Amino acid sequence: MSTTPVTSTSDKSAATPPRRPTPADIELLAFAQAAELTARDLYEQAVAEGAGGDQIASLVALAAHHDAYAQSLSALLGTDAPQSRNDELFSSLKSGFGSDTESTALAAHELENTLVVTHTDLLGRLDGTEGAALVASILIGESRHCAALAALAGKSPVDDIDLFLTTSDVESLAPQA
Amino acid sequence: MNDFNRDELRRALRTPADHGTDTFGSIVKATSGLNFARSLSRRRFFVAGGATVSFAALVAACGGSESTGIARLGNAPTPNELVEADVTDITLLRTATSLEHNAIFVYEAAESAGFLTGDAAEIAKRFLDDHRAHAEATASLTTDLGGKAYTQPNPRLQSVYIEPALKLIVGDEANGVPASDDPAADVLALAYALETIAGSTYQAYVPLLVDKSLRAAAMGIGDQEARHAALLGVVLNPARLVSSMGLSIAAEYQEDTETPAAAYASPSAFGTQAPVPVTLGAANESGIRTTVNLETPSLNSMVYEYLDAEG
Repeated sequence: MSTTPVTSTSDKSAATPPRRPTPADIELLAFAQAAELTARDLYEQAVAEGAGGDQIASLVALAAHHDAYAQSLSALLGTDAPQSRNDELFSSLKSGFGSDTESTALAAHELENTLVVTHTDLLGRLDGTEGAALVASILIGESRHCAALAALAGKSPVDDIDLFLTTSDVESLAPQA
Repeated sequence: MNDFNRDELRRALRTPADHGTDTFGSIVKATSGLNFARSLSRRRFFVAGGATVSFAALVAACGGSESTGIARLGNAPTPNELVEADVTDITLLRTATSLEHNAIFVYEAAESAGFLTGDAAEIAKRFLDDHRAHAEATASLTTDLGGKAYTQPNPRLQSVYIEPALKLIVGDEANGVPASDDPAADVLALAYALETIAGSTYQAYVPLLVDKSLRAAAMGIGDQEARHAALLGVVLNPARLVSSMGLSIAAEYQEDTETPAAAYASPSAFGTQAPVPVTLGAANESGIRTTVNLETPSLNSMVYEYLDAEG
């Protein structure tokens, strides 16, 4: 590449987004932390019920992943972090996380899809870049969970490829403005 | 010791002539009785004379000449001006489009070479279609922002990662590189690394994008790239789907560390921005295969807007 001097046409007047979470961001990130703690507890319930089979270590790891997300959000939020699960969400989903591995994997697949949609929604609403960057890294992890859970549910990467690759048509859980 | 009155001499020299004072007379008065023979000895004469000549040479060197350049031999090249290259939303979108074209290039090359068959070929075909759709989406976002869409593979990533990786798979006789013993496995391993890097790139762009509505759009695509990588992880390492590397879990659930964590469907809790290693090609005489580290586009591999003006 040469270094021919050319003036950029970029819009330098665009406002730089804030780094730290704004008050509105804190509300959204606090919701996200409660959702992650809910997911952790649902996986832990499934493991306690005996789900997982030869992939039980994967289910245990999934619970640990969601716990790590909650801890990272807690670090960002400080005293504003709720540090407790969303009981309403937990109660509505807990019946899917039982002893049967396949049905648990499908319920978890639905949950992870919902979290992906929720975090994508949050990314369009968060102002602070630190919160957005953290949510983006969580979203990537949960996207991968979806494909892993499709396999855990016994689905074929070829015949059921949409289950691995496509975000299902679910609503964001995040509180709407 | 000087035996003349210094103060009187200074006053005489300072006294303006137009005041009608007899300046010369004052000087004579001030220096009366001075022994010049003793004050200006032969040795002092030469010292004072040398200092005067040296000072005159210094004054001549400092003034009067128009050249300010340092003496040199030969002709120095004219320095290039630095390009004004801002990382704008348009630059990020163009770079994302270029990365999609890198992926398209790899899948098209694998398809035309016939490396993949059966289920692997079906999966690769789906991924190829997805990357074409992603390239169209990022190009459309670029033009929506008033930029010019980029339609080629990222030139730097192509030369640094893609072409060397493909040469390791297909071989390069001219440079003594033998073809891979298992090109299908190598293509899948390269695809796994490439899809991981694609997802990481969109993730890395989130805090860089000024327009927050673009963050969601970018991660909508990043989500799909991550799922591509995870599906390939399911194929490559079905024995364990989710890694617990770096996490505190009971010892009985910790994985066998002989399997590299990078091959998992879910290799880590968070999306990583670390380099992704991929081992490719035939083993050398020592039994060692080449490992290429793929990385997200850095500042020197972005597709800046000014590049449109270059031939």
